[in-house]
Amino acid sequence: MIQLFHVFKKYGAEAPALSDVSLEVRKGEFVFLTGPSGAGKSTLLKLVFCAEPATSGQILVFGRNVSRLRPSRVPYLRRNVGVIFQDFKLLPHRTVAENVAFPLEVRGQAPREVRRRVTQALRGVGLDHRMDKFPLSLSGGEQQRAAVARALVADPALLLADEPTGNLDLDRTVEVMDLLEAANARGTTVVVATHDRGLLARYKKRVIALESGRVVSDGDSVRRAS
Amino acid sequence: MHRLLHLLRRAVDALWRGPFVTAVAVGTIFVAVLLTGALAVALHGAEQLLSAWAGEVPVSVYLSPGADLEAARRAAERIAPGLRVEAVTSPEALRRLRASLGDQGAVLDGLGEDVLPASVEIHAPGASLAGARELAARLREVPGAAEVDFGASWVERIETLLRRGRWVGLALVGLVALATAVLVANTLRLAVYARRDEIEIMKLVGATDAFVGAPFLVEGLLQGLAGAGLAVGVLLGATWALLPRLRAALPLAARMARADVLPAGLLLGLLAGGAILGLAASALSLGRFLRRA
Repeated sequence: MIQLFHVFKKYGAEAPALSDVSLEVRKGEFVFLTGPSGAGKSTLLKLVFCAEPATSGQILVFGRNVSRLRPSRVPYLRRNVGVIFQDFKLLPHRTVAENVAFPLEVRGQAPREVRRRVTQALRGVGLDHRMDKFPLSLSGGEQQRAAVARALVADPALLLADEPTGNLDLDRTVEVMDLLEAANARGTTVVVATHDRGLLARYKKRVIALESGRVVSDGDSVRRAS
Repeated sequence: MHRLLHLLRRAVDALWRGPFVTAVAVGTIFVAVLLTGALAVALHGAEQLLSAWAGEVPVSVYLSPGADLEAARRAAERIAPGLRVEAVTSPEALRRLRASLGDQGAVLDGLGEDVLPASVEIHAPGASLAGARELAARLREVPGAAEVDFGASWVERIETLLRRGRWVGLALVGLVALATAVLVANTLRLAVYARRDEIEIMKLVGATDAFVGAPFLVEGLLQGLAGAGLAVGVLLGATWALLPRLRAALPLAARMARADVLPAGLLLGLLAGGAILGLAASALSLGRFLRRA
């Protein structure tokens, strides 16, 4: 599903954000990407969904080399990737339903089909009764669930979540993580970037640890580099 | 079909949500199209008046001394069938001049009766400027003709002035269009910037540049049409209000109709120009942003 070969990412003259990163995430996996702030977790996710190009190295997503992908093809790759952010990235002047409808509208789906799938997705995250509300009238947990619904509404093969529970309390964190697990159980490959050790302890998944842009461990538990 | 409706809905929704930007863009395009239209109407009206004047002024064939006036009249009737042809003897020409001078007519006292040349006058009411010029050229064939005059020096001077005015007008319109496009593009850039989050999210979920950009282009098009539509409305209103007064004040404009100064082609051109202006400004504001996003 995702393969990285000797990937480097540098911003100007600063130390590289990613340094010689090689890893593979297989289809159907649930993977935590962890490490302290500035370890390169978000950068790695950005490279995978083509928000930024790698400085060097090769990245394969769905078997396609994204560094060779023409800019005009990037949107079509992104249509198979759902993305969730810590700050939700919901548009405040659009209703929850309109926010969730975005991925379907860009695919040009018919309004009736959009309504059906949006309702279904919001029901899946327990927000169907809030679909006509505006995001700012929702709690943080509800906003993140709306963001999860938007990421999953088009049934993406891959779900990337960047600190999805960073702004949530424990109960809301569990709600969101349960949604991600459910998506994974339905076949979606899930990669969650988090620095929350409690999350890693609670959910026994594969954990890839980054420090200063390098992979320092990859397995079922976090091994700190000495 | 639903894609087109969705696109229109997004564009109208955005116009509605950004009333300030919409008002500035529409207002700027309105001023630009109004200026262009007013200039075009002024030039077009002046051309129409010039043409009417050319039709009102009789074409005069001045004869050489001793030429046969009656033969010249018959020749003129053959050359310009159906038009009123009048033979003017030398004494009659002097009498007319004296009458036109009024109180100053006394300055002609003491001059001989044959001081002015005899002439043949051909009246061609409603003839166009080109028609009058062509008729004058044919009348040079009249036996004994020394000179043919249809007010050519004045007409041609004004014609040259109008031709220059047209070039200056064209250059001004070009400059106004460019300035408007830049001004509106900068205004729309603010709108694009204000919606950067929306653009970012759309691109994140797989929207193509065309999908992101199309509503902005439609917005520009609608703003251009709205601005140009308002300007056309004002021009039509002004023509409706001022034309009767012009007709009353200027006998030459008596037969002038609304379509003579503001033809349908010009109205359509102004509307299309406004739409293109809005579209170009939108494309200009969007291009750089999409490349960055």
